Amino acid sequence: MKRITAVTTVAVLMAMTSLVLAEPKVETVAEGLTVPCGVAIQPGTGHVFVADSAAGRVVRIVDGKVEDVIVDFPIDKYGKGPTYPIGPLGLAFVDENVLAVGGGGYPDAKDKLRVYNIPAAGGDALNADEDDAAALEIPATDKLAGEGNFYGVAFTGDALFVTCNGDDTKGWISRAGVKGAKVGPFMRAIATKELTEVDAPVAITVAPDGSLAVGQMGEISLPGDGLLTFYDPKDGAKLANFETGLSDITGLAYAPKGKLLATDFAWADTSEGGLFQISAKYTKKKQNIEVTKITGLDKPTAIAVDDEGNVYVTVIGSGEGASGKLLKISNL
Amino acid sequence: MKKLTFRRLAFILVGLVAGILSVASIDSLSAREKQVVELPLGLDPFKVPADNPLTKAKIELGKQLYFDKRLSSDNTVSCASCHDPNKGWSNDAAFATGVDGQMGGRSAPTIINSAYFPLQFWDGRAKGLEGQALGPIANPIEMNLPIEKAIEKLNEIPGYKQQFKKVFRSEITADGIAKAIASFERTVLSGNAPYDKFKAGDESALSPEAKRGMDLFFNKAKCSACHKGHSFTDLAFHNIGVGYDKDKPDPGRFAVTNQEGDRGRFKTPPLRDIHTSPPYMHDGSVKTLKEVVEFYNKGGIKNAQLDEDMKPLKLTEQEVADLVTFMKEGLKSENYPHVDPPELP
Ligand code: HEC
Ligand code: HEC
Repeated sequence: MKRITAVTTVAVLMAMTSLVLAEPKVETVAEGLTVPCGVAIQPGTGHVFVADSAAGRVVRIVDGKVEDVIVDFPIDKYGKGPTYPIGPLGLAFVDENVLAVGGGGYPDAKDKLRVYNIPAAGGDALNADEDDAAALEIPATDKLAGEGNFYGVAFTGDALFVTCNGDDTKGWISRAGVKGAKVGPFMRAIATKELTEVDAPVAITVAPDGSLAVGQMGEISLPGDGLLTFYDPKDGAKLANFETGLSDITGLAYAPKGKLLATDFAWADTSEGGLFQISAKYTKKKQNIEVTKITGLDKPTAIAVDDEGNVYVTVIGSGEGASGKLLKISNL
Repeated sequence: MKKLTFRRLAFILVGLVAGILSVASIDSLSAREKQVVELPLGLDPFKVPADNPLTKAKIELGKQLYFDKRLSSDNTVSCASCHDPNKGWSNDAAFATGVDGQMGGRSAPTIINSAYFPLQFWDGRAKGLEGQALGPIANPIEMNLPIEKAIEKLNEIPGYKQQFKKVFRSEITADGIAKAIASFERTVLSGNAPYDKFKAGDESALSPEAKRGMDLFFNKAKCSACHKGHSFTDLAFHNIGVGYDKDKPDPGRFAVTNQEGDRGRFKTPPLRDIHTSPPYMHDGSVKTLKEVVEFYNKGGIKNAQLDEDMKPLKLTEQEVADLVTFMKEGLKSENYPHVDPPELP
């Protein structure tokens, strides 16, 4: 009895020290971005790609230098104050040179999911309207509103799953099948609000077990209502649904060894925003979640992790003009 | 003993270092609490602060305080004066009237299902029911009784002194008053409506009109963009334009957050038993449910912060009527929370 207690105490203290030691290192990789809203790491090269949203471009960062890859995306507005100009949003690589870009620059029903064959580093930038790139939309029907603001894009190997922000009574995640060079059709797939009663799916990534991990923002005016949900990409079934206590999850990514990381924008009070580690376990009968803050961040919008476990986060930042940054966070 | 303290300290330290979000301070209903309050069909369990578990004796004490006019400066006003069980736990005036006939600028919201709101008031300025309960007692235009005075007054009533001893093992305190009233409010629940029976599989629970209204509510009319979940509220704040036809619209949530996007945003009210609590909206400016639907049908009232989901709906007259029927019949509880004023000590 006594021994067990002693062991527990030691374990607790060890956990403490390891947590104290793990002071994360935060470096700025690129500055001068305007409302960056998406980040992805190119397979093969390890180059970091960023959707520099309000600048209407997708860039790659090579040795700290920002290089245009796709330019001239249209720009729309998001939010009622603060209001952010937004263009390209979510990014996901389908293949080393094939990049999917979720659009936010048109009104709902006109926004596009585009898939580009991108040039190698140092090559000429593409135009967003590139004829060869697939351009998929989700128009309105008699019953359903059109979709737009394709914030999160995740690739499962045979399909792109895209979070949408059109119909607030449904909270759609849409799907576009990918077969070789063929992408589409692009269709509404999971009505998150019908399954969880919360809408605004925003962050999305593929979990190590192949399920879709989704961050649902809920209402930006209500703090603490953010959900982490898991869906089966095959049939859209809800596998688990966690109340995270976070407010507005904008990014989700798995680090090596299956560690789940999330960025919380925290609209209602952005001083609460930051990078969080989430341990979410579930079986059919039981579920358990623990959420730990790693570091505060100024309006984080997206996250990606490289093979070594370095975390890349885009932040909008504060101040006039191009206050956006790409941060690298290591030593977690 | 020593061992325990050390471990506890270690825990607290880990908590601090790790900054683990404290989900632990609020729990869903415990098995014991489930015996104290019965959840009507269709409602989810609500959260109860860990330091204020529900007990029968506390709820009873809270009920007495809720109905007791002695908690006002001139013994004329109780919580129930403005949140009257016979008037949808609200009242029938656009603006609530407090002591000396004074009127505020907002309508009294219903207490029904307020157990679910993390933020209270039209603008969400109070946290939880405990954080709200003392406000109206001290508010000069409501009950106008400073809390120290209220405690003094209650201290003269042996029945209250005894109950506080029993429930809180303490003297009468402001904290105790808030906890007791909040506990009582948590029992004011509405569910078990034809809508819930329909969802549970009873196809005949809704009339054809109400069924059509339900379909409109969740689809074409987009009501469920905001009025969602078991209590028909997202618990959040939206600008639908109420008051923007007046000179100085109420700033709503903006006054609390100072974020421009929150200007004119008010809390989405729950809609169960909504037919019992006209007039509607934060300023009581809309008299009937039909007028409410007509307000939405024209897209609310334009302003810079108007919610994106507020657009003209192009509902026909029949569709307007069906939506009203859905709210009136479909959301009418079969066991509306009737509570008679208790005998006061
Ligand atoms: C003079 C009328 C009046 C009295 C008396 C009164 N209230 Fe209220 N109550 C209001 C008004 C008006 C509001 C809305 C005010 C606002 O949002 O700014 C309100 C809001 C509330 C809310 C928030 C509900 C929600 O959905 O946000 C609760 C809970 C509440 N009152 C409980 C009480 C309790 C408990 C008492 C007695 C201690 C009480 N009230 C006494 C008028 C009154
Ligand atoms: C954009 C979010 C939103 C949508 C969509 C919406 N509501 Fe509301 N509703 C609110 C808010 C916020 C209020 C309170 C507004 C105020 O008082 O300023 C409200 C108030 C009401 C009220 C008055 C409740 C009371 O206690 O005073 C009713 C009834 C109502 N809505 C029904 C509906 C119906 C029916 C629809 C669909 C036709 C609908 N709402 C669509 C957010 C919404």
